Amino acid sequence: MGSTLLTAQDRQTLVNVVYAAFPHSTFPRGPYERAADAVIAEAGTNPRFLAQLLQGLGELDAQRDVPFSELDADTAAAVLRGADGSPFLTAIVDSAVVTLYSDREVWDLLGYEGPSYDKGGYADRGFDDLDWLPDPKIEFEGEVPA
Amino acid sequence: MTRFEYDDSDVVVVVGSGAGGGTVANELCQRGFKTVVLEAGPHLTGPDYHQDEWPAFAQMAWSDARTTSGSWQVAKDFPNLPAWLVKAVGGTTTHWAGACPRFKPHEFTARSTYGDVEGASLLDWPIALGELEPYYDKAEIKMGVTHRHGRPPLPANNNYKVFANGAEKLGYRYYSTGPYATNAEPYDGRPATLQDGFNFQGDKHGSKWSTLVAELPKAEKTGNLDLRPESHVAQILHDASGKATGVLYVDRNGTLRRQRAAVVVVAGNSIETPRLLLLSGSAQHPDGLANSSGQVGRNYMRHTTGTVWGQFDKPVRMWRGETMAGVIADESRLDTDRGFVGGYYMETISLGPAFLAKFIAPGRWGSHISDLLDGYRNTAGMWIVGEDMPRADNRVTLSGDTVDQHGLPVANVHFDDHPNDVAMRRHGQRQGAAVYKAVGAQNTIETPPYPSTHNLGTARMSQRPGDGVVNRFGRAHDVPNLFIADGSVFTTGAAANPTLTIVALATRQAEYIATELTKTLA
Repeated sequence: MGSTLLTAQDRQTLVNVVYAAFPHSTFPRGPYERAADAVIAEAGTNPRFLAQLLQGLGELDAQRDVPFSELDADTAAAVLRGADGSPFLTAIVDSAVVTLYSDREVWDLLGYEGPSYDKGGYADRGFDDLDWLPDPKIEFEGEVPA
Repeated sequence: MTRFEYDDSDVVVVVGSGAGGGTVANELCQRGFKTVVLEAGPHLTGPDYHQDEWPAFAQMAWSDARTTSGSWQVAKDFPNLPAWLVKAVGGTTTHWAGACPRFKPHEFTARSTYGDVEGASLLDWPIALGELEPYYDKAEIKMGVTHRHGRPPLPANNNYKVFANGAEKLGYRYYSTGPYATNAEPYDGRPATLQDGFNFQGDKHGSKWSTLVAELPKAEKTGNLDLRPESHVAQILHDASGKATGVLYVDRNGTLRRQRAAVVVVAGNSIETPRLLLLSGSAQHPDGLANSSGQVGRNYMRHTTGTVWGQFDKPVRMWRGETMAGVIADESRLDTDRGFVGGYYMETISLGPAFLAKFIAPGRWGSHISDLLDGYRNTAGMWIVGEDMPRADNRVTLSGDTVDQHGLPVANVHFDDHPNDVAMRRHGQRQGAAVYKAVGAQNTIETPPYPSTHNLGTARMSQRPGDGVVNRFGRAHDVPNLFIADGSVFTTGAAANPTLTIVALATRQAEYIATELTKTLA
C-alpha cells in the first residue's frame, strides 16, 4: 500500500473524487475503492505524483465549508471541474478510467461478459442473438461501383 | 531452428515480421533463399495473449518512446502514442481486424483523377490495378479472405445486424460481412472462428490470418528461415559502391550484432522504416540512406478515421463475435460532389468498457462519460476509414532529443489534417449517425481518431527517382539491393484497409527479388 503520509481521510476523499469523475448510481463503493487504491499504489512509486496528490486532495477538502466527501454530487462535480486539467486530477483520471472499467464487478454491472476463449467463444453463446431487427443479408449482388 | 552465420553474406535480411516482412520472408523461403528475419519484439503465441484490453495492449503494443507535433488531435490526446502498432513476432497482423477491400483502379492514379488538390502532394502510382490483380488473387487465397475464391462469408453478428439494417434503411446497397481474413470454416490448417471477440488482442484461436500463424510457420518448415525475435535493427550498412551489405542490430542481451546480407528488405511499418533509413545516414548518404530525393519520411498518411457509436433501448452486445466483420462500401465510390475527393468505408468495430471509456472522449470525465458507459450493453459501433491526402510536411523525422532504450533518436510524427480529411470525416460521421438513427438509436456519439493503425507513405513508390524513395517493385531508387516491403511504399493511401495491398505488393516484390537474386548468385 501507499505512503504513510496519506491519511484515511485522504483515501476517502480520493474514493469520492473517483466517484465524482465517473459517477454511476448503480455501482457499489467497492470498484471506486479499488480504483482509488490503484492511484495510491501508483503514487507510492512516484514521489512527484504523491506530492501532487497530497496537496491536491487537501485543496479539494478546503474548497467548501465541509470536506469534499460530504458534498452533494452536483457540488462535488462543480468543485472537481475547478481542478480540471491540473496534473493532479489528470493523473487520477488517467489511472481511474483504466482501473474502474477493467474491474470485473463493473463489467458485470454493465453487462459486459469479457474473456470468452475458455468458454468456447460466443459462437454458441449468443454472438447473433439480437432479435429486435430482421436478419440482414451478408453479401450483395454485383460489384461495388468504382 | 535454422541459424545462419552472422558473416553469411548470401542471406536476405528482412527487418520486421508483419504483413510485409513476414510475407516477403515466406515467399523467399519457399523459393529456397536463406532468410534472416529480425523482429524487434518478442515471440508471443496464442496461449500468451490476454482477453483483457489493457494487459493485451501492455503486452503487444509498440510502447517505446515516440513524439508528436502538428495540429492533429492525436498529438493532443496521445502525445507519445501517435500510432497503435504491435512490437512482437507477426507485427501488427496480430492486432489487425481483417478487413480486406482491394484498391479501385482510380486509386492508383489519384493525382490524375483528383487533380492538383491544394496543399496535397498527390502522385500517381507507378503501377496500375491490372498489374496487381494477380497478386491480389494470390494474397486473398493465401489469407483465406471470406467472400473470395469460394471462401464462405461470416455470419451476421449482433453489431452487424444493427449496422446492416441501418444501411438498408438508409438506402445503401453494398454492405456485407466481409471481405474479411478470418475463417468462417477451417481453411489452410487454421480453424474456424469461435466468435470470441478478441481479434485485436492477438486472436488466441488462430482463425485470423496473421504472419504469426500463417506465413512464418510455413517459412520455418522450409528450413530456410532464421527468425530472431527481440532484435532491434539500429542501422543499415553499405559499401563504397553504394550497395547495402547488412545491418547492425541490438540483440536480446543488448549486444550489438552485425548480420551481413546480399539483400536488405525493410518492413518496420511507416514510422520505423523511415526512422531506420534516417538513422542509417553516412558520408555517402548524408540525409539518410536512400534519401537523395529528400522524400524519406514525407507524405505520411494515416487514413481519415473516426468512430460512431449508436445507443439503443434494447441490447446489442457488440463485443460478441468478430470485431470488424461488417463493411458498408457505398461511400467508397468516386464522387467528388460530396465536398471532398476520395472515398471511405464504414466498418463495424467494438471496444470493451475499458477501452471505450478511455477512447470515447480522451481525457474527459464526468457524468456525460459515465452515462454513456451505463448504456454499454445497448451500444453498436462503427469505424470510418477513408483516403487521406498526402502532404509533404506531414512527416516522420528523428526527434531532436528523445532517444530510446538503445540511445537511438526516436521518431517524431508530425501531422496536420488536410481540409479534405476534415470534410470527409464530418461526412462519414454524419452518415454513420444516420445509419444508427435509421434503426432507432436514442443517441449517437462521435469519437475522434485513435492513435494511427494505418501508417502509410513515408517511402513512397514513384516513377521518377526525385518524387519518391522506391520504384515499382519497392526497390530503393538509390540503393539497388535495398527493398521496402510495408505500407511506407504507398504512393497514395486509397480508402481500403491497407493490409491486403501490403501482402499483394510483398508477394510481387518477393518474386522480383528471387528473379534478381538468381541472376546475381548464379
